[in-house]
Amino acid sequence: MWPETVAFLDGTQRAEIVGYAGVAPIILAHIAAAVRERTGRVFRTVVTERRSLVVARQDALNAAGDVFDGFDRVVIADAEASHPARDLRTAGRAIDRARGALEVAVGLRYRTSSGAWLVVDGTLSESPAWADDARAVGVVKSHATLPFSGEELERYLRLPFGHRTSIFAPRSRRVAPVRAWALRLWPWQDRDVFHGLIRVEVAPANGTPEVADDLSRWLLAERAPLSTPDARWDRLLYGIHSVGQYLRAGS
Amino acid sequence: MPDIMTSATPVGRVVATELKPSTPHQFYFWTARESAVGIGAIIRVDAPGRIVFAVVTDAAAYSDLVTPMHAVLGADGDPAAVGLEPSARAEIRLYLASVLRQIPEEPLQPVPLGAVRLASDDDVVLALRMDGYTVGERATGIPVGVYAAGGHESPVYLDCDFLLGPEAAHLNISGVSGLATKTSAVEFLLSSIFQTFPAHKGSVAAVCFNVKGPDLCFLDQPGSIGDADRALYARMGLSPEPFAAVRYFAPHKPDGVNLNTLRTHEALSSNTEPLVWGLREVLDFAEVVMNRDDVDAKADAFIDFLAERIVGHEYHDDLLRGKPFCVQSFADLEEFFRAIFDFMEALGKGGEVWKTHHVATIRKVRNRLSNISTRSKGLVTDDGVANDLPWGRFTDRSVQVIDVAGLDPLAQDLVFARVVSKLREHLERRDLGVDHVVVFVDELNKYAPAEGPDTYVRKMLLDLSERGRYLGLVLFSAQQFRSQVQRRVVGNAGTSVYGRMDMDELATPGYATLSPATKIKLGTLPKGELMLRHPHFTQPIFVRFPKPAVMTGREGVERFPPAHDLPFADAVARQLRGLDRSISADAIRAAVDGRRELDVRRALAATRRARPDDPAAYFVAALGRRVTAEPAAPRRAVPTLRRPTPDDPYGP
Repeated sequence: MWPETVAFLDGTQRAEIVGYAGVAPIILAHIAAAVRERTGRVFRTVVTERRSLVVARQDALNAAGDVFDGFDRVVIADAEASHPARDLRTAGRAIDRARGALEVAVGLRYRTSSGAWLVVDGTLSESPAWADDARAVGVVKSHATLPFSGEELERYLRLPFGHRTSIFAPRSRRVAPVRAWALRLWPWQDRDVFHGLIRVEVAPANGTPEVADDLSRWLLAERAPLSTPDARWDRLLYGIHSVGQYLRAGS
Repeated sequence: MPDIMTSATPVGRVVATELKPSTPHQFYFWTARESAVGIGAIIRVDAPGRIVFAVVTDAAAYSDLVTPMHAVLGADGDPAAVGLEPSARAEIRLYLASVLRQIPEEPLQPVPLGAVRLASDDDVVLALRMDGYTVGERATGIPVGVYAAGGHESPVYLDCDFLLGPEAAHLNISGVSGLATKTSAVEFLLSSIFQTFPAHKGSVAAVCFNVKGPDLCFLDQPGSIGDADRALYARMGLSPEPFAAVRYFAPHKPDGVNLNTLRTHEALSSNTEPLVWGLREVLDFAEVVMNRDDVDAKADAFIDFLAERIVGHEYHDDLLRGKPFCVQSFADLEEFFRAIFDFMEALGKGGEVWKTHHVATIRKVRNRLSNISTRSKGLVTDDGVANDLPWGRFTDRSVQVIDVAGLDPLAQDLVFARVVSKLREHLERRDLGVDHVVVFVDELNKYAPAEGPDTYVRKMLLDLSERGRYLGLVLFSAQQFRSQVQRRVVGNAGTSVYGRMDMDELATPGYATLSPATKIKLGTLPKGELMLRHPHFTQPIFVRFPKPAVMTGREGVERFPPAHDLPFADAVARQLRGLDRSISADAIRAAVDGRRELDVRRALAATRRARPDDPAAYFVAALGRRVTAEPAAPRRAVPTLRRPTPDDPYGP
């Protein structure tokens, strides 16, 4: 169990097309991030940030005039001619980045007031500050990028329930180096190989077997309560789920 | 909108969804997991331009768990592991509140999504519309208890215009037995009425029927109350004092001198007196003691004949006997009946009708009336000397307690019917001595049952409940099970009070309007708490009331143990000592020695009625001059004639 107060950080985003300037889409997005601190089994929101963005090509924003005053403007690079589908993908990435940046900002704000363990939904390598934070843990649910191949990958993906892999240094981290290991939270037999599998990231200084064992034990204890009805309940920690619920309820 | 701002911290927020919308009459709100809100709590909702007062009627709690199966999975099937989870699930405390009042009242709109606060004292006054009758020179508020929630203790007032008339009237209280709630609540409320009934509403008195044990036998004695109860009295501006003017009436036991009550301790005898009625008092209520089949038109006609021509009148009928009849008592009446039967028997065949009344009718009426004197022996005197309530001399804030606990049910009905009828007569004529009378009847289900024959008493109670308020005749009634009482009788009670209720009773249709949570609260209500319905309160309200400042029946019996039945002479002496404690028992024993019991009872009744300065002397005088029996002079024996006649074979 975590030795004391522990905090969870997550972010949410929601986007919709609100119009077109010609064929160029204008997208309205709401992003939010929060930290909820748990003391004595009860959560309390300590930091929240919400922003509303309007994402579009510069021409489209100009055409909209002052309709979106009060929104943060994110301009889609317009080197190529407008294509609605491509613009939407580009806008999606921009919104992802904005949300990621907001999460980092919120995490840093929390860190100015607390030295408690901070469990972040996603990778720590988004920010050098996080990657150096000795009390930060990244919990990655997505396995779009796998760190190994061949026999090592098979061992990685067939990790038994309650086990962790050895510690490794993920390659191709965009901003900051971290140390990581995989942890199986739930038995995967009769399900897919990703069931209950998370990747845990810590600052390089924490990349020791002792710290990895402690954190793995603590994270295994976080399996209950289940984060149902979220479909990712097998990898979604209840604390992270709680932050998501809080943000969605307020949006 | 009145200036009713609040600075209290919100304890909740109104929440409305499509499935759980706010309406003008009820709404949902949520609170923190730990809060002072509970079932029965009065709250206020603030929103721009509108304030809503409401009472919490139901509650629910649930978590973000979709199915119980997920709890099992999360705990690996081990219930003991549930409490060890590092996180407590998100959980809601969702309350349903029923609207008491909206300000402004018009237009009536759904409750807005505002902040919820616990009601302050001022809020309670507004929420229960007490601002309309508890302030000003002609205030009519009667404290009934204290609403308590979240550290607040706010007095709750009933409107005496709706409790004692004329707008509405009557009070009915239900609750299981054994918790001393029903009787205690009525005792407290009577005390509150006596202390706060406004002068501009006139005078008020109470008549209480003690129907079981010593329940109401010590209303004039101070009881022991604790500091918490004293604080409640102080909060309501009342004094914890017993009733100052109480008179007790109890019938005699069949011996005609010992009182049929548990209040026979000598220290209590000064205001305990017999309730004795004669033939005239009973005859007017003959219908009470006869069942419906008995009182056919023929019997009714004959009873009318007796009442109008015979009882209390000098009646001549040379055919029956030469001397006129002067029927004053049951004994006289029996003599009259005997004369009729003798006359008809003498007529032989054809002697079946006397003055148009058939002999069977006469016999039936005679049997029923004589049955009264048998079953009500002790209440009904055979010597014609009655001792009754002080009709016409009721005083303001006085209590008359009639102890009928030891009486036969038929006699109880008779007492009840006659007393209420007399109250009604006097109030109609405005000559009772007071303007309002509260009649307290326990075990109402016995006198006005929901099912069964339509008795005289039930009809009378119905009439009282429907029309009494115009006269100032108010019924305070109590029973265990409201569902077992005639619906119109309890339905006419403007104010209804509920103590702890039986769950089976709460399952009956009469309680369908209460929420399940309110029913649970009623089923577990602690001693000293009540749920109130009153015309000004649009929802039931829970209040706490203090222990009445009178001695309980149990305490009273321990403190004043009932005296043992005494021999005739000693019982007479005890009653006279109730008038004058200096009277010597020996002197009374000497005075009654050798007297006929009938004469002694008559003298005792006369003394009680006259209440002279010197009761002993009056009593002896009322006994009359003792007729000393002169010993008969021994008669000289007549000597036998002894004349020896040797040849007489039968001679001595």
